[in-house]
Amino acid sequence: MTKAADGSKPAASAPKAAGFKSTALGSFISRYAETLALIGSLLVLVLIFSNLNPRFATLENLQNLLNQAGLPLIIAVGATLVILIGSIDLSVEGVMSAAGMAFVLMSANTRGGVDYGILAFVVAIGVGAALGFANGFIFTKVKVPSFIVTLGMWYVGLGIATIMYGTETMPFLTDDNLSTWASQLNFGLPNNFLLAIVVAILGALLLRFTSFGRSTLAVGNNEEIARGNGLKVTRTKILVFVLAGAISGVAGIVAAIQLGAVNPTIAAGNLFITIPAVVIGGTSLSGGKGGMFGTVLGVVLLTTLNNGLILSGVSPNFQTAVSGGILVIAIIATAWSQRGRLRISK
Amino acid sequence: MTDKKVDTTPVLVLDKLEKSFGSNKALKGVSFTINPNEVIGLIGENGAGKSTLLKILTGIYQTDAGTIEVNGKKVKFRNPRESVASGIGVVHQEQSLFTNLTVAENIAMNSGSGSSATSKFGFYSWGSIFKSATKTLATIGSKLDPRAIVGDLPFVDRQMVEIARAISVNAGTSGYPLVILDEPTSVLERNETEVLEREIRKIKEFGSVIFVSHRLDEIMRNCDRIIVMRDGELVADRSVNDVTEDELFKLMVGHEAHSLTHARKGLDGAEVPAIEIKDLNRKGKFSNVNFSVRAGRLTAIVGATGSGREDLARALFGAEKIDSGSLMLSGKPVKNWRIPKAVKAGIGYVPSERKVEGMIGGFTAAENVTFTHPGKAAVGPFLIPGARKKIAQSWFDTLDVRPNDISQELGRFSGGNQQKVVMAKWLNSPELRVLILDHPLRGLDPGAAQTVNEQIKLACEKGAAVILLADTLEEALEMGDEVLVMRDGEVTSAFDLAKDNPSTLDLLERMV
Repeated sequence: MTKAADGSKPAASAPKAAGFKSTALGSFISRYAETLALIGSLLVLVLIFSNLNPRFATLENLQNLLNQAGLPLIIAVGATLVILIGSIDLSVEGVMSAAGMAFVLMSANTRGGVDYGILAFVVAIGVGAALGFANGFIFTKVKVPSFIVTLGMWYVGLGIATIMYGTETMPFLTDDNLSTWASQLNFGLPNNFLLAIVVAILGALLLRFTSFGRSTLAVGNNEEIARGNGLKVTRTKILVFVLAGAISGVAGIVAAIQLGAVNPTIAAGNLFITIPAVVIGGTSLSGGKGGMFGTVLGVVLLTTLNNGLILSGVSPNFQTAVSGGILVIAIIATAWSQRGRLRISK
Repeated sequence: MTDKKVDTTPVLVLDKLEKSFGSNKALKGVSFTINPNEVIGLIGENGAGKSTLLKILTGIYQTDAGTIEVNGKKVKFRNPRESVASGIGVVHQEQSLFTNLTVAENIAMNSGSGSSATSKFGFYSWGSIFKSATKTLATIGSKLDPRAIVGDLPFVDRQMVEIARAISVNAGTSGYPLVILDEPTSVLERNETEVLEREIRKIKEFGSVIFVSHRLDEIMRNCDRIIVMRDGELVADRSVNDVTEDELFKLMVGHEAHSLTHARKGLDGAEVPAIEIKDLNRKGKFSNVNFSVRAGRLTAIVGATGSGREDLARALFGAEKIDSGSLMLSGKPVKNWRIPKAVKAGIGYVPSERKVEGMIGGFTAAENVTFTHPGKAAVGPFLIPGARKKIAQSWFDTLDVRPNDISQELGRFSGGNQQKVVMAKWLNSPELRVLILDHPLRGLDPGAAQTVNEQIKLACEKGAAVILLADTLEEALEMGDEVLVMRDGEVTSAFDLAKDNPSTLDLLERMV
């Protein structure tokens, strides 16, 4: 070194967790530290809840738990894509309602004699994709922050659902095969969880093996650089929102099937669990970092927490506050390592 | 690369390029030609139009008038993609890699992202991505693992990835690639710079280079021809053999370089130091540091990465915690040292991370000048825009900030002019007692650097105690009354330059 050196090069990488470097196991641990920590926390939760209530660690409860995890996991896959580009999609509940409503009203239901069969699925997912496109288009073209566009679109979706619902009685699905599908077991696992896993795997493959997936990560890492490299930034972002909308559409269908019926508030409460699950799963809110595996773990972790709290006899009156508090703590734990002098959070 | 090309069609022909931003003419008819296998040095002060020119070549801006020919074909880039497709690759001043992706993908980004080179029907072919990256890396003699995640690599390796990406542009074109190196050395160590210079010679074998740097010695060493810009015009286009460094400086700045040597002030034993620290400690950063600086004197601190000098400087400004030890201002000890107190006590700090910590980019230049020490621009809680404009305007004139427009957002100025405004912010303090400067010349062109240095001296003469973390040892020896050497968080030696005359080698020995 022949000159006074800089102490802080711009863009210098954050130091890796030191100490383990020498062995292969060590480098494995330091590389996957966050994932291992998640799995560790999950095990600790399982241990605690098993001790508090013997009913927790039963096959029946496990199936029940995964059944609860299915819907949030589907939504979380879309949310992961959106968060990977550094944006947020708050519209999921509205989109789900609109899609679920379209699905039930076009399937055989107690209100009337229509049954469009497979077309009902296609239209419902299309409704989701269309609302997602509206999100992405307004977000990228008018350049408003995604959280405010999608907040509005949430209520647009709810509104559409309410109009479609009208003033008649609640429409129930009349096809029993359909209305019991979600909780039926295959390979010992509930169908809706299996579907969620398929969606998550597709999401992971998308991120790993397609140009679109890699562009998503690139845009999330640094939009300016992505643009300078000739990536189609706007198109990528819009497509991410379309995909997230379509996935919310799928979630709306699943929610309707789970209930065997539909009403405009069918999706209420789903946003609260999914976004924290994605973040706890290691996907950075500033974009570029994270993936589906962490999201699966995050959703399972939070679902386990909710399930365990109920079984441990926490009063439902306290449950909301307790889950909120635990979420805040979990987020702090996740974000702790990222506090830096030059990090600005708004 | 595979077959030697013998045609002599110029790689780049620019004819009377013009570009204006509002009433500000950034380019006033610039024309030049670059031939195959030629390394062109492009120099000019900040604001001379270099950046605008590069942005036009890379498709970020579009010209108002004039034509561009690349490898014999007329082009008009509407976006960066088209520039890349025609065979122009850039190594940016600040690294522009995706830190979350692999080396191979970063390289592949340029050779046609989303096209057949890397994927089929939108599906990634990892095998071919890794293979072509290995090949590209081999042409520049690098053995980096294409599977490595860029964020895990040291800085100099990332620079290799940048270069590999820039040269990969010719994968899809038939002509010579043109590689633009935009101040790649401004954040490199000298041994790293040597690696880069070797790369330039390699690229020259199969392509052409535009090398932008503020370091004239580098320009002289690496380039065949040098193009000098000033005020949006091309003022010289000379073979490297027909020009000297001094001439280049004069062409760039418009006047001769001033000598920076100054009369060093002797120590008056009775005088109370403006700032004095005793046994200052910060765990893991610096330990038992003692020194003092008197009013009107400049202490330069030198040290390698990890010497703790940046942390020390930040601690003196209250930006970092002090674990133990005492800090005295004009003989009075201070407690619970925090930035607001430091500012109130007349301490100024010019950070190395200018854009993040030194300025508010979205505010106008005038607001930035008067933000911390408003002077007459504020009466109690009320701001007086008229007075603010007057104060800012006078600083703009003194420091020759360009463009001379105080109502423009500071973020839109070039680096050197931003730094002048950051300096003005502290100089505007009615009682500047201590001025702490962390790499104040980083990324500045020689003209702006000279202005900043003159202001540092002036502040010193007016009675401020200055603490300078210099970019180079030469800068430390030239500017300082005293030089402290730090290593591993401790001060290893101190030289009073009025008596001692250490060489850079002497300093270096104590740094490592």
